[in-house]
Amino acid sequence: MKNTFVKNTIGQIISFAASMLLLCLIWQGITLLTKSEIPGPIATWQVAKEMFAEPFYDYGPNDKGIGLQLTASLWRVFLGFGIGSLIAIPLGILMGSSKFMMRLFDPIVQILRPVSPLAWFPLGLLAFKAAAGATIFIITITSLWPTLINTSFGVAHIPQDHKNVSKAFGFSKLKYLTKILIPYTLPHMITGLRLSIGIAWMVIVAGEMLSGGSGIGFFVWDSWNGLSLEKILVAILIIGSVGLLLDKFFNTLKMAFAWENK
Amino acid sequence: MMKNLTQEELELLQTEEIENKDEIAKLLAPPAIKIKNVTVSFKSKKGLYTALKDISLDIKKGEIISLIGHSGCGKSTLMNTISGMVSPTSGEVIANEQLVKGPGPDRGIVFQNYSLLPWLTVFQNIYEAVDSSFKNISKEDKKAIVEKNLKMVNLWEHQHKLPGHLSGGMKQRVAIARAFAINPKILLLDEPFGALDALTKSAMHIELLKLWNLDNRDKTIVMVTHDIEEAIFLSDRVVVLNNGPASTIKEIVDIPLERPRNKKEIVHHPKYKEIHDRLLSLLIDKFSISDY
Ligand SMILES: Nc1ncnc2c1ncn2[C@@H]1O[C@H](COP(=O)(O)OP(=O)(O)O)[C@@H](O)[C@H]1O
Ligand SMILES: [Mg+2]
Repeated sequence: MKNTFVKNTIGQIISFAASMLLLCLIWQGITLLTKSEIPGPIATWQVAKEMFAEPFYDYGPNDKGIGLQLTASLWRVFLGFGIGSLIAIPLGILMGSSKFMMRLFDPIVQILRPVSPLAWFPLGLLAFKAAAGATIFIITITSLWPTLINTSFGVAHIPQDHKNVSKAFGFSKLKYLTKILIPYTLPHMITGLRLSIGIAWMVIVAGEMLSGGSGIGFFVWDSWNGLSLEKILVAILIIGSVGLLLDKFFNTLKMAFAWENK
Repeated sequence: MMKNLTQEELELLQTEEIENKDEIAKLLAPPAIKIKNVTVSFKSKKGLYTALKDISLDIKKGEIISLIGHSGCGKSTLMNTISGMVSPTSGEVIANEQLVKGPGPDRGIVFQNYSLLPWLTVFQNIYEAVDSSFKNISKEDKKAIVEKNLKMVNLWEHQHKLPGHLSGGMKQRVAIARAFAINPKILLLDEPFGALDALTKSAMHIELLKLWNLDNRDKTIVMVTHDIEEAIFLSDRVVVLNNGPASTIKEIVDIPLERPRNKKEIVHHPKYKEIHDRLLSLLIDKFSISDY
């Protein structure tokens, strides 16, 4: 048992390393093809080392360390995602619980869901009179849909058996919510949250490019203006890795709450 | 409680030897369950499906009744009209002298498919039912009730397990403990022993009767079963249903075997074979390949 576990872990580490090596090879290939117009892994690594040497420096509004930019972005994402989830979960429960509510809200969801974050931005500016508010607004409104849809799906599919228990033993509304609805829906809800945080993290870059000031998106834009392609590439790798970590976090969370596997 | 006696009942009182007041009270008490002209139809895509048609049945307080019939004939549906999970399309059910409008803690249910909540432990599954049914007792008392009932079905050591880790028989015992824990006047058991092996099943029969005895034989039990021997051993009467659609009661078979019954001895009782054959012929019309 333990041996296979160790073997599996070693196998995973090796295949991950191989995967990263492959990425670097393709990257180097592209660098060669573009005659070094796009910096290669080694040049990028040099710049990355400098950036990570002092990640939290602050030389005024337009010159901040990568660590500060990242924290600013993460903070916005969690704020927007948090507000979005606080809207999506109760609304999802409402839609899942009643056919009427589903029919009432579903068309609205279907129309608003495919709208690009960029299209929402001006509305956000208008509403909040500030770029910071607008960025959080577009994260909220574009990231809430998967949580909303998955939550309502979960609630709508609570098995009749479970509802019968509640009915037969006279569960109160609160007991039904905490002992049946939420436990059953939680895995669906977390799947939704996982997709939502993915969207939020995608949207933040676009949002910060538009709003400027701070954040990883602003950093990418600023590096482009400063013609530092290496910095852009480092930023892309950071964005990708953070996205991966967020995804893994919610996946772990889902595993922890999936009563089916217990 | 006492109603005016009819002539018939007076005669009954005089002719039969009544041993104590309890029995007189039981004889005169209104039926625990009164099913009056109950018809149940379900709306389906193909139209209206009538499962039960004009069923009437009175069940006395303290009686044990078995419902028997082929799969899909409407046994669960009839149970559900008593529990209040299904409301009759026409007719009515009166339980404990009250019109049944929905489920209530005076009727405990064991569902055909156990219906345990998979994310709650064995203990919690029972606790939540107890917590909903008894409003005015302390947490400690509620826990004591859960403990008592889990010990009764021999699952106390398994109290921390999730239902997913239990065998079918254990799940069924949890469901039974849950129904008993709310101490209902009427127990509704839908194929409660169906998933049990013969040994456990036998032990559970005895447990059920023990509980019923301990409680002065006051609890009314309605049970669905496919097992003729089980029906005879446990019941006062066996209600045989016709095949659906629009099932009616085919026949009600009395089981006049005196209690307490003994599993080993009962089969040698002269009436046993007669009852057994009667039930068998009501349920099965082909007994050998030459009947085709
Ligand atoms: N909720 C329902 N909707 C539609 N049809 C139902 C429903 N419940 C039961 N039925 C139908 O009623 C009939 C009797 O079902 P049931 O009472 O479960 O039978 P039994 O318990 O005797 O096997 C079956 O034909 C079944 O398909
Ligand atoms: Mg059934």
